[in-house]
Amino acid sequence: MPNRHILIIDDEEDIREVAQASLELVAGWKITTARSGSEGLEKAVSEKPEAILLDLMMPDMDGMMTIGKLRNLPATQHIPVIFMTAKVQASDRQRLTKAGAMAVIAKPFDPLQLHHQVSDALGWSRESSGI
Amino acid sequence: MSPLESKKPADQETLTVASPQDPSEHGRELSLAAFTKQLWQRFQGAMLERVSVLEGAVTDLLENALSQDLRLRAEGEAHKLAGSLGVYGYPLGTDWAREIEHLLEGNAALLPAQVRRLAELVASLRPHLEQPAVENRSQCVEPTKCLLMISDDVELVRRVAIDAPARALHVQHTTFIGLEKSLDTLPAIILMDVTASTKPVDALATVAARWPEVPLVILALHDSLANRVEVKQWGNQAFLQKPASPSHILDVAAKTLQTAGSQNAKILVVDDDPLILAALEVLLASQGFKVVTHADPLTFWQALEETGPDLLILDIDMPGLSGMELCHAVRNDPRWSALPILFLTAHTDPQTVDELFAVRADDYVPKPFTGPELLIRIRNRLERVRLQRSLIETDALTGVATRTKSEEVLTRLLRLADRHHQPVSLALLDVDNLKLINNREGHAIGDSVLRTLGQILRHSFRGDDVVARWSGEEFVAVMYGMTRSDGVQRLASILATFQQKKFSSKDGTAFGSTFSAGVAEYPADGPTLKGLYEAADGALRQAKMAGSNRVLPAGGDGNRPSVANHVDVVLVDDDEALTTLLVHALTIRGYTTHCLRDGPAAVEALCGREPCLHAKVILLDVSLPGLDGFGVLRQLANDQVLRQTKVIVLTARSLEKEVLKTLELGAFDHIAKPFSMPVLMQLVRRAIEV
Repeated sequence: MPNRHILIIDDEEDIREVAQASLELVAGWKITTARSGSEGLEKAVSEKPEAILLDLMMPDMDGMMTIGKLRNLPATQHIPVIFMTAKVQASDRQRLTKAGAMAVIAKPFDPLQLHHQVSDALGWSRESSGI
Repeated sequence: MSPLESKKPADQETLTVASPQDPSEHGRELSLAAFTKQLWQRFQGAMLERVSVLEGAVTDLLENALSQDLRLRAEGEAHKLAGSLGVYGYPLGTDWAREIEHLLEGNAALLPAQVRRLAELVASLRPHLEQPAVENRSQCVEPTKCLLMISDDVELVRRVAIDAPARALHVQHTTFIGLEKSLDTLPAIILMDVTASTKPVDALATVAARWPEVPLVILALHDSLANRVEVKQWGNQAFLQKPASPSHILDVAAKTLQTAGSQNAKILVVDDDPLILAALEVLLASQGFKVVTHADPLTFWQALEETGPDLLILDIDMPGLSGMELCHAVRNDPRWSALPILFLTAHTDPQTVDELFAVRADDYVPKPFTGPELLIRIRNRLERVRLQRSLIETDALTGVATRTKSEEVLTRLLRLADRHHQPVSLALLDVDNLKLINNREGHAIGDSVLRTLGQILRHSFRGDDVVARWSGEEFVAVMYGMTRSDGVQRLASILATFQQKKFSSKDGTAFGSTFSAGVAEYPADGPTLKGLYEAADGALRQAKMAGSNRVLPAGGDGNRPSVANHVDVVLVDDDEALTTLLVHALTIRGYTTHCLRDGPAAVEALCGREPCLHAKVILLDVSLPGLDGFGVLRQLANDQVLRQTKVIVLTARSLEKEVLKTLELGAFDHIAKPFSMPVLMQLVRRAIEV
C-alpha cells in the first residue's frame, strides 16, 4: 500500500498542527505543511504531494490565488486540491469548485474524521487509507 | 456545523492500524485527544487574545464608537475562532464565533437587538473557553440525520452519499416506495427523484401520505411549469431540476431541513438561577429555538399559559415550589399532560432519578450540563412529540390538527386573549361544491383538493394560530391578535392562492377549486368558542348564498339587495381586463361592486343632487374617455359626494404633479399603475374603515 502524502497550506499554526497530527496519527499519512500560499507553491513543486489541503483565507496570497497558480504550473496542475474554510455556503462552494477544487471541507473539522473526509473527496477507499 | 456532527457511529468506522507502536484504534484516538489537549494549552492564550479583540469591539460599539478598522479586525478574529474552536472540543464556541462574524459583516449599523446579541455572545466566549473542553466526544455527538433517497440513479445516490456526512446526513436508498421496509430510522428528509416516474404526482402523493411530516425535496427532469405546479401542491418542499450536483442537492436538503421541523419550537425554561437562565437563553436561541425564561416558580402557571411551550425545562431545586411539584401538577392537567418536560439536576443518584420518573418527567440532564448534550436531548424529545402528533392529533388526509386537538388549544387561546385584551378571529372555511367534485371526479380527486387546501392552510398560519379540519370539507382557522377585518384579508389572500391550484380531472383536463369562508371576532361576535363558531357559520352561509368563492365578515348585513344603489366599491375604468381582476379581488373579500366605463357615465351615476349610485369607495382611473379622472373628481367634490365617499385615484405614472393634483381635489389616496393587488386591497379596506 502506498503511503499517502498530503500538503497542508494554512497560515494558522494551530490548524496546521492539528490537521497534521490528525492525518498522521489517525490515518498514518505523510504530511508536509506550509504557512503561506507561496511556501505552499514551492513545496508542491518540490515534494509533489498526492493532494493539497488549502486554506481559503490567508494574508497576501489567499487560497483562490494559490489554486490559480497551482493550476497553471505544469508540475502541479494535476494535483487535486481540497479547500478548508469556515465559510461554506452554496455560492462559495460553487465558486470554489469552479476554481478547480475537488471538494470543500468545513472548518472546524473533527480531527478524528478529517482523513475520512479527505479520502471520500478524493475517491480513495477508506480501507486503503492506512499504512 | 459542529465538527462533531459528522462523526459516525463507531460500527461504521473502518480504520486500519496506524502505526506499530500504537495498534488500537482507541489508542490512536487517545493519543490524538491528548495531543489536541496539549495544543489547546499552547494556543488557549492566543485564542483568548482574539476574544479580547472582540471584547474591545463590543465596548466601542456600546459607546457608539466602533471604527470600521476594528470592526473588520474583529470580524476576522471571529472568523478564525469559528474555524478552530470546534477542533479543540468547543463546538459551541465555534457556533457563537460564527454568529459574531455574521453580525459584524459589512458596514451597516447594527440594530439595538443585534448589539445586545453581539454583546451577549462575546461575553459568553471567555468563560466558555476557560472551562475544560468537551472531553467525551461520543456523548455529545449529534447523530447524523437520515436522508432517504428515492431514485433509480444509483450513481447520483452514491455521490450524494459521499458528501452527506459533511452536512450531518447519512443516506438511505430505495428504488421504489414500498421497498424501504428495512429503514432503521425515520427519515429526517426525503429526496424524491421523479425523473423516471411515469406518474410522478401519484408517487409524490404516496410519499406525502406515508411521511406527512417529513420535508421533501423533489428532483425532476424538466422545469416545465405544469410539472412544477403539480409538484408544488405537496407543500413544504423544495424543487430541484436535474442535472443537479450532489453538493447542490445536499445544500438544498440541509436548508429545507433547517427551515422545517423543530427549529421554531418554543421552550419555556424555569430556573431560579439567573445565570443558568441567561446561558440557556443564549444557547437555545442560537439554535433557532424560541426561548422564554422564567425565574419565579410561584407564577409558573401564568408563564406556562402565556407561552404555550413545545417543551419545558425545569430546575429541580427552586425555592417555594420544587421542580418535581411543578412537574407533577403539569402532568395532572389534561391540557398539558403531553408536554415534554426535561429536568436540569445536580443530583443523579438513583433515588432522585426514580422520583423524577415517578412525577413523569421525560428526561433529565445532569448539571453542569454541556450544550451539545442538552441540545440532543431537546431535539430528541421534540422529534418524538412531533411524530406522536403527526400520528394522533393531526388529520391524516390534510395534515392540519384534528377537531379534538384544536378545541383544547382554542380554549386556551381565548383565555389568553381575555387576559391581554387581544382580539382573536375565527374563520370557518368550506370547500365549494366538494360533493359535486366527488361525484364527478371520484373521491381520490376530491381528497387531493382537501389535501391541497390543508397544505396551504398549514403553511399560511404559524405560531399561535391554529388550523384544524373540523369535519368533512370544513376547516377552522383561528388567528390570535387579529381583528375580523384582518382575518378577512388574510383568508382572501389564501383563497387567491387556492384558486391558482389546478387539479387534473378524470378526462385529463385541469380544473380549479374555491372555498367560501366566514370570519368572526372574539369576543364581539361571540363570547364563547361555540358562539364564535356560530357567528362565523352565519357569515359562511351568507358567503355561500352570495355565490360562494368569497370571504365575509360576521355581523354584515346579509340581506343586501343584489341590485341595490348602494355598493361598497365603484370602479371607474375603461380597461376591462383590469376591472375584471379588481372585481374578482374585491368580491372574494366580500365587497359589493359596480363598474363604470367612462367619465360622463361616472358623473351621471355618482354626481348630482340625488345620485342614482352610492359608493363607500370609488376607484377612479385618471385617463378616461370623455372626461378624465380629474374632471370626475372635481365634479364629485363640487357635489359634496366626497363627504361620504372616499376616492382612490389610479394614476398611470407616479408623477408628483398628478399626485398633488388628486390630493388637492380631495382624493383619499392614490396608487400608481401597475400596482400590487394586496396593496390596493389594503387601501380600499382602510378607506372603508376610516
